[in-house]
Amino acid sequence: MAKGIELEGVSKVFRHPERGDVHAVKQLNLTVQPGELVTLLGPSGCGKTTALRMIAGFENPTTGRILIGGQDVTDTMPNRRNIGFVFQNYALFPHMSVFDNVSYGLSVKGVPKAERRERVAHVLDLVGLQGMERRFPNQLSGGEQQRVALARVIVTEPSVLLLDEPLSNLDAKRRVQMRSEIRRLQRSLNMTSVYVTHDQEEALSISDRVVVMNLGEMEQEGTPQEIYAHPESQFVAGFIGKVNALPAEVVRVDRDEVTASFGATSFTVCGPSMSIAVGQRVSLLIRPESVDLSSEPDGPAPKGRIVQVTYLGEKAEYDIECDGAQLKAVSFDPARHGMFAHGQEVYLHMQGGSMILTDQ
Amino acid sequence: MSSTSAIMRREKRRLELANLARDPVLLLTVVLVWVAMFIFILWPLLKLMQAAFVDKGHLSAKALVSILSRPNNRLALRNSLLLGGLVALIGTALGYLFAFTYTRTNIGSLWRGVIDVACLLPLISPPFTLALAILFALGPRGLITYGILGLKNVNLYGLQGALLAEVLTYFPIAYLTLRGILANIDLSMEDAAFSLGASRLRVFLTVTLPLTIPGIANALLVLFASSLADFASPLILSGARFPVLPTQAYLQITGLYDMRGGAALCFLLLVPSLLIFAIQRQWVGKRSYVTVSGKSAASSGGRLTPPWARWLLLALCLAISIFVFFLYGSILFGSLVRAWGANHTFTLENYRYVFTFGRKAIRDTLVIAFTAMPIGGIYGILVGYLVSRKSFPGRSAMEFVSMINYSLPGIIVGIGYLLAFNNPPIALAGTAWILIAAYVFRYSATGIRATVATLHQMDPAIEEASTSLGAGTAVTFRRITVPLIAPAFFAGLEIMFIRAMTAISATIFLISVNWTLITVRILEGATELELGHAAGFSMLVIAIVFITTGILRWIMRRAGMSDYSAVAQIR
Repeated sequence: MAKGIELEGVSKVFRHPERGDVHAVKQLNLTVQPGELVTLLGPSGCGKTTALRMIAGFENPTTGRILIGGQDVTDTMPNRRNIGFVFQNYALFPHMSVFDNVSYGLSVKGVPKAERRERVAHVLDLVGLQGMERRFPNQLSGGEQQRVALARVIVTEPSVLLLDEPLSNLDAKRRVQMRSEIRRLQRSLNMTSVYVTHDQEEALSISDRVVVMNLGEMEQEGTPQEIYAHPESQFVAGFIGKVNALPAEVVRVDRDEVTASFGATSFTVCGPSMSIAVGQRVSLLIRPESVDLSSEPDGPAPKGRIVQVTYLGEKAEYDIECDGAQLKAVSFDPARHGMFAHGQEVYLHMQGGSMILTDQ
Repeated sequence: MSSTSAIMRREKRRLELANLARDPVLLLTVVLVWVAMFIFILWPLLKLMQAAFVDKGHLSAKALVSILSRPNNRLALRNSLLLGGLVALIGTALGYLFAFTYTRTNIGSLWRGVIDVACLLPLISPPFTLALAILFALGPRGLITYGILGLKNVNLYGLQGALLAEVLTYFPIAYLTLRGILANIDLSMEDAAFSLGASRLRVFLTVTLPLTIPGIANALLVLFASSLADFASPLILSGARFPVLPTQAYLQITGLYDMRGGAALCFLLLVPSLLIFAIQRQWVGKRSYVTVSGKSAASSGGRLTPPWARWLLLALCLAISIFVFFLYGSILFGSLVRAWGANHTFTLENYRYVFTFGRKAIRDTLVIAFTAMPIGGIYGILVGYLVSRKSFPGRSAMEFVSMINYSLPGIIVGIGYLLAFNNPPIALAGTAWILIAAYVFRYSATGIRATVATLHQMDPAIEEASTSLGAGTAVTFRRITVPLIAPAFFAGLEIMFIRAMTAISATIFLISVNWTLITVRILEGATELELGHAAGFSMLVIAIVFITTGILRWIMRRAGMSDYSAVAQIR
């Protein structure tokens, strides 16, 4: 049975010998619905792993409560929380075979031998490791170790699945493959999951909901689409994908629209949540793929000069100098559309609808 | 800020207590270990302090003043420090020579084996062995001095004799410490210096040597402490004109029956020992530059020494090794002749004596050693596990206390035990248990350290994985931790056994009519000039230690465990 997770005002303070008290997590409130996969995303040191370890019970929160399935587990030992935890470096038991690793949780819980064998076989089948029961962890590849780690957890049918950067030790190809496999298993077994990663692409591709964390606090939460398309701060915009920040000045404020000028060009964007005044300096955020380049002007558009061209096969990236600002633009399928040359002058076509206005 | 950090400290304490409260197994274990540590580590020390500083219920420095007023005792203090300093300097230099030759000259595995055996013998042989052998080789009627060189008035007794015996006994400790460090230095650092144009000497002076300085400092401290504590070599070779503190304390108690004076002398010994212990923990512990990159396998250390230097270093090491072998050979020889130095007719008489009149000592020693071994081994991994993996109030205090008996000279521990356990409530004197307790709480230090080191290298996630899969503290410890720290456990067993077979300074006061030890028989043989018997007992101890550690290692190999190299942990 999938159970939900709730964090209520959870904080964690560590004592550091040199830096004094470190507030790893500050007043975190989070609800994970049964069967949902929520990603905690952020740079290293943002508190995401600490938050996950508190859900598991490996760390005790300094303040706040943690509930699993509506029950307060704040003071419950990790071994009584019925969780499954997948570790960054797998933490397989090096002195046990694959079979013993996977059946460990069942044997600890007193599941009879025959049933154990059956369930282990079933799970190994599920993760594609049939026939490897007798191997030891040091005889497995990284991907296989990852599967054992998953199998070891899934076989116990935990009420929540916690994953701590599970793919960071795999190579790029294997990572893409494993993440869709994890998602498939999570969906088919309907496991409530919290997934910690610093890889934005991984977060976008795997999650029902993404929680972006920074400096111990939640910056923004939402579906992958919301987070990417409507970042609420420059940090979120910059952390999830690439973003240009155009320095601009507010020239007009309407009820739900703001007009701001970048150089000689004005853009009208959706009004932000913050209060804004004419004459204020702001940033207009726009993704590189929303910047269209052309060699001839098509209406009012700022002019810039290409200072670097990076060819990446399926796309080309341009660094452009424009009115004293450095901008990036991306054009896809360069083989079909042609490429601009280094030093070439270009016009930058940008729509206010693709922009987000933030504090400077 | 200070008030918030005070709040945080309280908060941390609260969490630790909450942690104990929700984990009864942990709570019970912590309480039991503390009770044992109080009884067998702190209580004897308190009794010793009481004997030295409490006179008729009042605090008094009278005993200390009276001890210090005697010139012989002041001389003993000076001599102990002088001897310790010289042993530390010369022993560390020799250790560095051996370690450098071993790791940086590409000598063949045969020569490495020779060096290893020469360094292993002093570590596993009973006390007095080297001192006796030196007496026989270099004494007034020694094989070398009298027999070969024909010298008549050789004076071995005094500083020179004790120094030679202690340097040869303790330099292997420096060798093992420094070899470990030299072998772990990533050779690509030396290669990098070479590639930047540095000469061999410059690479050594600017890269290799600075990286080993923490190890050198550690070796100096350890050797100084070992010499300060050594009781056996000075007893045989110091003579009356060169008294040192441990022998003075021993004579004060056994000769003059002056317990308070002995305790006061122990205090004089305690101060420098504790000082060294503190320096080691505070300073050396935090300055290890050793990097294990795991990628240095392809490189070999031969580049640092030109061929002529290689031969010179090897020749020096071999000369010293041969001298060590000669000394042990002469013990074997002494055990097989009628009267060492006078009548060299072959005989098995000494061994007949050992196995008839020494039978009780042999039996007692083996019973005690084989009892102390498992108890100490389990205690060692338990304490090592608690201090490195669990969080509870007083954790670092526990780690500190666990090392006290080991860091103090054996004579202090022995006198403390005598004072603490002679009378009720815990009257252990006269039983085997007092000897076993002395060994367990003194020599489990190796097991504790090996466990801490092993756990340090082991990802805590492995244990967390077990917990998250539903296993409690006890199950995780039994099914995950114990199998993984088994090599450390075996290292602890091995050292416990070696020490129980060879210890003398801590246990000389604890033997009784009911329970005696082989080492005490060696001491009797040495002081009553029954040297053939002493040599026979010594050979027996060496043989038992070799056989038992051989069996332990065979078991480990059969179980597929990696060799922890227990002897490298001896200090």
